[in-house]
Amino acid sequence: MKPTIVKREPVVDDALDQCEARLTEEEIEKVINEVIDKETGGRLWTYVNTCIHCGLCAEACHWYLSNDRDVSFAPVTKVKDTIWVMLEKKGKVDAAFIKRCSQIAHTECNLCRRCGMYCPFGIDIAYMLLVVRRICAKLGMVPLYLQDTVHSHAATMNQMWVKPDEWIDTLQWQEEEAQGYVPSARLPLEKEGAEIMYSVIGPEPKFLAQLLGNITVIMKVAGLDWTMPATAGWDNSNMAMYSGDFEIMARVERLHHETAQRLKVKKIVMGECGHAFRGAQYDGPTWMGWMKPPIPIVHAIEFYYDLIKSGRIKIAKKAEGPITSQYPCNVIRNAGLGSKLQYIMSAVCENFVDLIPNDRHAFCCNAGGGTINCGPPWKKLRVQSARLQSENFKRTGAHTIVTPCHNCHSGVEDIVDKYKLGMHVKFFSELLIEAMEIPEHLKPKEEEAE
Amino acid sequence: MYEFVSGPLVWLAFIIFIGGSLYRIYKMLSDCKKENVVFPHMSLKHSLASLVHWVIPFNNQYMQKRPIFTIVSFAFHICLILTPVFLLAHLVLLDESWNISWFNIPDGIADWMTIVVIIGCIFFLYRRLTDPVVQNVTDGSDYLLLAITALPFITGFIAYHQLFAYKTILIIHILAGEIMLIAIPFTRLSHMLFFVFTRAYFGSEQGHVKNSKDW
Amino acid sequence: MSNIESWDWEIKEKMLAEPAKWKDQFEDVWEPYISPDGEKIASIVKIGEGEFNICVNGNTWEEPFEKMWYSRFSPDGRLTALISKDMEWTLAVDGVALEETYEYIWETKFSADGKTIAAIVRQESGYGILVNGKVWECPIKLESIASHVISSDGKTSAVIAQTVAVAEADVNAFTKGSWSVVVNGKPWKDNYVDVYGLAISNDGQRFAAEYRNSICEYGIVVDEKPWNEKFGCTWEPVFHPNKSDEITVPVRQGGQWLLATNGRIVWDKGFFSLLYQTYSPDGNNIAAAVAPQFAKWTVAVNGQPWSITFGECVQKPCFSPDGRKIAVIAKDSGKWLLVVDGTVLGKDYDNIWQPVFSPNGDKVICKVEKNGKYAVAVNGEIRGNDYEALWNPVVSPDGTKVMICGVEGGKYYRKVVLLSDI
Ligand code: HEM
Ligand code: HEM
Ligand code: SF4
Ligand code: SF4
Ligand code: SF4
Repeated sequence: MKPTIVKREPVVDDALDQCEARLTEEEIEKVINEVIDKETGGRLWTYVNTCIHCGLCAEACHWYLSNDRDVSFAPVTKVKDTIWVMLEKKGKVDAAFIKRCSQIAHTECNLCRRCGMYCPFGIDIAYMLLVVRRICAKLGMVPLYLQDTVHSHAATMNQMWVKPDEWIDTLQWQEEEAQGYVPSARLPLEKEGAEIMYSVIGPEPKFLAQLLGNITVIMKVAGLDWTMPATAGWDNSNMAMYSGDFEIMARVERLHHETAQRLKVKKIVMGECGHAFRGAQYDGPTWMGWMKPPIPIVHAIEFYYDLIKSGRIKIAKKAEGPITSQYPCNVIRNAGLGSKLQYIMSAVCENFVDLIPNDRHAFCCNAGGGTINCGPPWKKLRVQSARLQSENFKRTGAHTIVTPCHNCHSGVEDIVDKYKLGMHVKFFSELLIEAMEIPEHLKPKEEEAE
Repeated sequence: MYEFVSGPLVWLAFIIFIGGSLYRIYKMLSDCKKENVVFPHMSLKHSLASLVHWVIPFNNQYMQKRPIFTIVSFAFHICLILTPVFLLAHLVLLDESWNISWFNIPDGIADWMTIVVIIGCIFFLYRRLTDPVVQNVTDGSDYLLLAITALPFITGFIAYHQLFAYKTILIIHILAGEIMLIAIPFTRLSHMLFFVFTRAYFGSEQGHVKNSKDW
Repeated sequence: MSNIESWDWEIKEKMLAEPAKWKDQFEDVWEPYISPDGEKIASIVKIGEGEFNICVNGNTWEEPFEKMWYSRFSPDGRLTALISKDMEWTLAVDGVALEETYEYIWETKFSADGKTIAAIVRQESGYGILVNGKVWECPIKLESIASHVISSDGKTSAVIAQTVAVAEADVNAFTKGSWSVVVNGKPWKDNYVDVYGLAISNDGQRFAAEYRNSICEYGIVVDEKPWNEKFGCTWEPVFHPNKSDEITVPVRQGGQWLLATNGRIVWDKGFFSLLYQTYSPDGNNIAAAVAPQFAKWTVAVNGQPWSITFGECVQKPCFSPDGRKIAVIAKDSGKWLLVVDGTVLGKDYDNIWQPVFSPNGDKVICKVEKNGKYAVAVNGEIRGNDYEALWNPVVSPDGTKVMICGVEGGKYYRKVVLLSDI
């Protein structure tokens, strides 16, 4: 089978170029065969040998659809140009090929699993591309910024090089901020035996600290017994899962789940992030040998759903005007929280305008799967390949897009920017904090407020 | 020649087909077992749910989006499986040698079903030649598989209508049928064997593990 | 826990404080901590906007602080907290703050006798360790400290630290190595890509850590010298309790986890997962949490797994004092269980804390939680009443009594009961 002809200018990424210059063919052959023999099994073989080459999966992929049906972006093409060749040639491929594999697997696929849902056999293309990422990662062929993020995970156990003191300091600062709204609010650190451990992703303390203030207010209003760790293990995100460095992925997830066990909580509630849920709920535990996390983890969507449904949080004033929401693949298609998201959106919005397609059929924002973490070199192609979803957003006529996922948030901001949609991008908690009722006794006293 | 092709070779073909299929399935299952996580992630309920949504036409969003393909694909596969199994000519042979027999489709209908399969093959061939995505993942083996699939039907049809040298065509037909049977376990035609398993796994992973659905 | 002999093991019951009443006295009362001997209970309390204090058995320290957190009792019963005044941070012990202040301070740790108190500090000159009021001297600037350990005699502190500054997205500098171990201010000679799982031998003389050199190349380094063997992955090393030259580590090879001592594989079986290797008190046996298959957890003793398995997880095993029995907390179907030598004891609970054995090993005592209440369970069955708050029971040195400290009806009690009575 001839390699697919790619008609676009290749993106330049220094780390990939350096790695290409360094790799030897013996090394490549060894790693490919090692991964295929030791880390895969019947599944990969069956997928490759069952695929009837019908091309039906193409229709599922936003890369393909957004790029005028460019064949090189079809899911089956992505496996054809990577794992099929590795298997056929038994690992005898060159460094340029591995570089192309990384481009395809790391930067041109979000592992969103939409194609798996549209293949008549249920062939999991995303799984095969993750195997390709694993091979690339073991060879050191990982886009620069993604690799840097993985280094951050490895060194600090969080995504953003946040040092232990910066973390605690930020929490203490946000506790004070929260007390501006609700003077009795507290962000309890290291409270053993609390009901809930709240965990977030690295960018929250680094860039979006107000979200930590928001949750402090929400927890107080809902009257919940919660805590956050003052040690590493607070970050639930995991780019190592996406680069293919599964050992670091597991180390990060293990620490996160052991921190919850150390704090003796009943559950972990996590902020609005899709891939972090995937890592903490599936990929991390699976590698560790846990069927599910030892302490259950609850995604923000489900958490807010429970709070609103049970009346622990009441809505005082719904957000006005048409508002829509992205459906983050990792918590919707791949975790089934679609109807809960619709419920909470309707609860806090006067006019929730749904996307078409919605729920598990919704398209990825094209930031997921680590692609946005591949950084500036790849941004143009990534945003260009989100055209389809930009049209879907536009059709809703909303003034705001809610993104209950950090990657989606950044990705959708890029979309709004590039396609001049003129919409705001918000997390759900930002809407909730505006809409929810703060009981009289929790409000600042009059004289203090003046 | 005819005796050989319609005697020992049939035996051989069926032995290879059945034995090969069993071996393939066994090998796949044992390789999956080594992978540790596969079976713990499976659930019967979600496997069946997935199959129900993908074996019944138009029972999932994707099939609804592509009505023509869905109709062709189902017609093709239904006729492909039913025609040879319930064909009178085949049953007569079976009856002669083994003295067993079952319900047969009237020859007229079977003839039309054969045409459906041949049309299906032409449709798939057309896609393969024109659809850029399919084209890009096509090589000789794909045409060969189409040919292996089509040939027993084409030759069977010719034989039935006695259009050319009947005896020769019949021998070719039987050979073609045997090739197809032998090919099933060892080529991508094995999708017939694995369909149930890949669906069951993906359905389980989406439903049982990920609390979602795969249709 | 120092001087455990001199604690009051006679008085059967003391009501020492009424924490419930503190709620009326202060704007906010945080979760309480107790001294190791159970005589004191303390909570950080908010007394006003930006004013905190700590309430010990009903009395507050003389001086309030702008911020306070991390109140912890030392093993010798002194109360410490991390406090801030004038936007600077420092450590306060029994109401007295250190003169010296720091940009930040965290993770207070103690020697076994409580005489040494250490914490990590950030100063303009970088990160360091504060030991008994003095920051250690280190010839290089530490860019970050990931974790610290202190020897039980308190003489040695060691940290995992970033020893080389790495610019943002400089992946090459990072892969050259920028992390190392610093012992009492003295950095090890080599840097590594990453360093994890720093351990100190019981005699306080030797140090071992995991290091990583590239994506799947892990190893163990002991006192600056790496083992010759490399592994696909490792977990934290553990020293033999009496022999400081024996180190045992779970290592990954060929897609499975094995146990290695001083670089040699010692268990003949590999596992899907292997964690929390633990030596018996005499060091002759090793137990670990293992998963022979995916999602089937149990304990392996000297490589031999128990026949019982649990679906969710198994925590760190714990040996009886004589080393003959092993207790572990396991989770199955959403419930926590106490397991001793492969048999589930008693009922299931919403939470179980790390158990302790009676000296002869026939009783396993632990704190459990059921329906939001806490209780002491012996061999898995609840004995005695429920508490609103409870601390881990402590067995007396002679092994005849147990100290139980808890809050009941808003009052804090310290009780001493005969082991034979429960
Ligand atoms: C393996 C041994 C096989 C033998 C001995 C055999 C034998 C025959 C015979 C004797 C006929 C009747 C020709 C006539 O009417 O004069 C026939 C027809 C036919 N056979 Fe087979 N066959 C075999 C395998 C297959 C297979 C594997 C398929 C398809 C999957 C197949 C499909 C057909 C079809 C479609 C017809 C013609 C039906 C029609 O147009 O009415 N045969 N075969
Ligand atoms: C129960 C068994 C079978 C199942 C469930 C099955 C399922 C499928 C599916 C899902 C496809 C993908 C495209 C589509 O939906 O049409 C397909 C294609 C196909 N199947 Fe089957 N199949 C079965 C048996 C067979 C057999 C026995 C043969 C031939 C010997 C066959 C030959 C083909 C061919 C030629 C294609 C089209 C490939 C192309 O696009 O060129 N199938 N099958
Ligand atoms: S997983 Fe998503 S992004 Fe990747 S090929 Fe499939 S549909 Fe496209
Ligand atoms: S839809 Fe499935 S069988 Fe068809 S090409 Fe794609 S992966 Fe292969
Ligand atoms: S970034 Fe958002 S939409 Fe995209 S893969 Fe993640 S969860 Fe999906």
